[in-house]
Amino acid sequence: MNKHFLKTLLLTATLIFTSLGVSFAEPKKGGTLIAAVGNSPRHLNPAVQSGIVTGFPGAQLFATPIRYDNNWEPQPYLAESWEISDGGKTVRLNLVKDAVFHDGVPIKSSDVKFSLETIKKNHPFKTMFAPVVSVETPDEHTAILKLSSPHPALMLAMSSQLMAIIPEHVYGDGQDPKTHPQNSENVVGSGPFKLVEFKSGEHIILERFDDFFIDGRPYLDKMVLKIIKDPATRTIGLENGEIDFYAFENVARNIVRLKKNDNLTVTPDGYAAIGPIDWLAFNTKTGKTADVNVRRAIAYAIDRNFILKAIMLGVADEARTGIHPGSPFYEPNVEPYNLDIDKANKILDDAGYKKGSDGMRFGLTVDFGWPGLKPNAEYTKAALKKIGIDVTVRASADFPTWAKTVSNHNFDLTWDTVFNWGDPVIGVHRTYQTSNIKKGVIWSNTQQYSNPKVDAIMEKAGVENDMDKRKALYSELQKMLANDLPVYWTNTLPYHTIYSKKVGNPPMGIWATSSPMDMTYIKD
Amino acid sequence: MLENEEIEEPTIKPVKEIFQTFFKSYSAVTGLVILIGIAVMGFIGPLFYPTDPFDMVWMPFSPPGADGFLLGTDYLGRDILSQIINGARVSIAIGFSAALVSCFIGVGIGSFAGFYGGWVEETLMRITEFFQVLPTLLFAMVIVALFGSSVLSITLAIGAVSWASVARITRSEFLRIKELDFVLASRSSGSNNMALIFRVILPNAAAPIIVQSALLVGAAITFEAGLAFLGLSDPNVISWGQVIGSNRVYILDATYTVTFPGIAIFITVLAISLVGDGLNDALNPKLRSR
Amino acid sequence: MLFVLLVVVVLNFLMLHLAPGDIADTIAQTMGGADEQDMAELRQQYGLDQPFFIQLFNYVIRVALLDFGHSHFYNLPVFDLIMERFPATLLLVFSAQILSLFVGILLGVYAAQNPNGLSSLFVNMFSLFGYAAPVFWTGILLLIAFSLHIPIFPVSGMRDITIETDNFFVHFFDVLRHLFLPMITLASIFFAYYSRLCRASMLEVLGADFVRTAKAKGLSKKDVLLKHALKNSLSPVITFAGLSFSAVVSGAILVETVYSWPGLGTLAFNSIISRDTPVLLGILIFSTLMVTVGNLLTDLTLKALDPRIKI
Repeated sequence: MNKHFLKTLLLTATLIFTSLGVSFAEPKKGGTLIAAVGNSPRHLNPAVQSGIVTGFPGAQLFATPIRYDNNWEPQPYLAESWEISDGGKTVRLNLVKDAVFHDGVPIKSSDVKFSLETIKKNHPFKTMFAPVVSVETPDEHTAILKLSSPHPALMLAMSSQLMAIIPEHVYGDGQDPKTHPQNSENVVGSGPFKLVEFKSGEHIILERFDDFFIDGRPYLDKMVLKIIKDPATRTIGLENGEIDFYAFENVARNIVRLKKNDNLTVTPDGYAAIGPIDWLAFNTKTGKTADVNVRRAIAYAIDRNFILKAIMLGVADEARTGIHPGSPFYEPNVEPYNLDIDKANKILDDAGYKKGSDGMRFGLTVDFGWPGLKPNAEYTKAALKKIGIDVTVRASADFPTWAKTVSNHNFDLTWDTVFNWGDPVIGVHRTYQTSNIKKGVIWSNTQQYSNPKVDAIMEKAGVENDMDKRKALYSELQKMLANDLPVYWTNTLPYHTIYSKKVGNPPMGIWATSSPMDMTYIKD
Repeated sequence: MLENEEIEEPTIKPVKEIFQTFFKSYSAVTGLVILIGIAVMGFIGPLFYPTDPFDMVWMPFSPPGADGFLLGTDYLGRDILSQIINGARVSIAIGFSAALVSCFIGVGIGSFAGFYGGWVEETLMRITEFFQVLPTLLFAMVIVALFGSSVLSITLAIGAVSWASVARITRSEFLRIKELDFVLASRSSGSNNMALIFRVILPNAAAPIIVQSALLVGAAITFEAGLAFLGLSDPNVISWGQVIGSNRVYILDATYTVTFPGIAIFITVLAISLVGDGLNDALNPKLRSR
Repeated sequence: MLFVLLVVVVLNFLMLHLAPGDIADTIAQTMGGADEQDMAELRQQYGLDQPFFIQLFNYVIRVALLDFGHSHFYNLPVFDLIMERFPATLLLVFSAQILSLFVGILLGVYAAQNPNGLSSLFVNMFSLFGYAAPVFWTGILLLIAFSLHIPIFPVSGMRDITIETDNFFVHFFDVLRHLFLPMITLASIFFAYYSRLCRASMLEVLGADFVRTAKAKGLSKKDVLLKHALKNSLSPVITFAGLSFSAVVSGAILVETVYSWPGLGTLAFNSIISRDTPVLLGILIFSTLMVTVGNLLTDLTLKALDPRIKI
């Protein structure tokens, strides 16, 4: 790894600074990008607030040690190089020398240490840096991470919005970083853009940071993020040219519509690490769905193709497992549970669930966590009627209501969209680990699924540094899960990026807009 | 204000006269006919057009008129015509029940306030004021967040926030009527308070209350649609508002999925207000003279 | 007044408290997941782990000291948040109210001249259109028509932030352009109320003695209509306008949602679905005050119209 890096150091320097720029035509400096965002972020500090809404402005305001290219390869960012030694238990980051925060104070290794500790304490994804026991700072430009065990997820966890480097002299003033006033106002960041104004529910205005540590970047002078919740309004804005750029569009109908527009480019690229998957989760502990036969029968009765074609209008991809198809760990060779009503009926008959005089065997409820999944829930009602299951759709008035219901395990079936967040350790394990059955916590193992063998594989895969061995472990995991079926995975959430033809070089890596847009520019 | 009049008689008009006035008005009759038509459609229509509004019968987003679906299909390929027909029943039911709830609360509070006066009136009118001042939609949303978005809780929420106007009208009618001679007469003949309120005064105050309640039916139907637009509706029941709310995100391409239920609401509320006008003219002796 | 405010606070505090889920769940939602300890910490931080009455008591005391607390969601002072959004809502509500009054009275006067003729019927039907159509529906159709098909109005927001000039008039017309569709949409609900009320009271006044006298004195029809009849028939219209302020605010929530208007309505909506109790209560207190001020203005206007009225 060390040697590999030294070799690539020169290479990437030339690659990133010259050839990348050339290969995307000549970026033009200056200009304002008008982007839309679908929700108002809580605040702008990604060190203590995860999620794609904070991620967009957060990744522009704050730099991370490394960044990723479209092939899942780590690239230098704030760390100009890194070395991994001691069997993966020591990671040395060599920081860029002349980097400064937005207030002009140099970025030092102590800020990296402070940031990591703050994130470890406050960020909801505890698995990201759990094995990191200490950070040593032998000099101002070197940070050494000491780990208790190998942690292959670490590289991804140091990228995108996940490890924002925040200034210790601002956020280390003793106030709780979660509620620090400078999370929303006077944000002092380390990234390519600095904050001009954040008006919740209206807009976020960002401006080029002239002393950014990569010379000549960013290309844009200004980014205006308009907060527009209504999908139809956003679409009209894109069509009549009021908005140049929108990421995370997932309303299939709008995607299909915008694809027909000659002034716009619509692409599903860039979301592999975000990894959003739509699925139908089962309560595996109580009720009829505790029986794996019932779960399998339901999976056979729900037509994934109908969801892909009719609900998603062909813009989403099939997802057969809980790992996103864009991930290198995806294993497509599992039982796909393709539509087979007869088989579903037979499974139920054999398991002793006889049809009553009205043709129904028993009743179940289905919830849905997001308004966009309402069609799936309604479809479930219609589909399961065919195998004699009478489904009641339960609409939660809002998210907290649904979260309370599901996290307290008061459900039979629920549709949900869950994110992989890069490495399986961060976003996949949590759904199936026995140790993560936590009442009251949403997106824990709310299925209450427990299989010691599955737990053991995940534990092994979490510390396996060899990519091929790791892939094999995750392949086995996905097969076992498909067999036990605590969740029936159907499709990827069809996140798309839509941008005007005048936008050059939009973020197309694995992290979409949760990555710096220092290379994006506006054409003439 | 009534010093010059000799004796104010009970103001209830003969039923026959009310009907005559009502049916003389073209617009009122038109409204009534439309309303009856919509009710018939909702209650008997499904017999003649048996497509289940929940069944996915065809390709999603099939435009109106194509493939034999007069009003097209929605995002799951469900028949919109069937949803409009079946939604009529639910929307009208929600409208009437919510108005009834409002009417009960409003008449109760208004009549006690107007009849008893003093601190009772003071307190009750303060409560009314509270409901008049509060943005009703917000309040209803809080209620739905609390009790869940079932048809029942939505109906009750609408009813619970819309009664202030009824209460005010009832109170002012009571204030006027309770001083009239025939009320004083029955008071002196030993009628108890409850009998006075509900048997003597209320029937005489009925006219403006009925008119106001009729208008509340229409308001409740649009209210329900507004809640559905904000995402608060019951997916197990098809109402017009629910159809609009569910199809809202598809509005740009499949505008008809929102246009048709919108038109249905529009026509119904229009018809209700025409009937309300007719009732007003027929029941209100002051206006009739003009 | 204070009583009403107290009821508003207690009732809504209670209901939002009893509703399933809390702010910790909402924050978990925006985070894409949460950790047990974090959620417990959040609840402790926002005092949600304390008994209901203590929470309520603390809140009321703070409000009495004019401190509306911090938004749990945004971590910003509620007062600042409200002040940031308030001008937008005020602009929308007042301009819509004035427009609907103006159009309503105009239509009412027009209709009153010929109470049983075609023009009266026309006015009646026209104004009913706005009343009977769900306001968000009207909004969506206008948006599709005038932002998409004939793109003459901007699709969302209150201003164009890319305009780089200090010229007041440029900004003024920019806001006006953004305001136009939302204002018309919101005003359309009330055309019916005002035109009908105005028509009815005009008819009443036109039949009164002093108007007959004026006519007899040989004043022109226009003078009679405007100077005498209109002035005297405005009272009920304005009284109603004062009473309907809360309805206007309700309508504003829907209109703001359709046009992404950065006002209090959308903030209130979000505070309910995210269980951000301090923000919701702050807005309710604020809108109660606003309605009260609206009513006061109404009274003052009435007094200006008719000096006999005592406030």
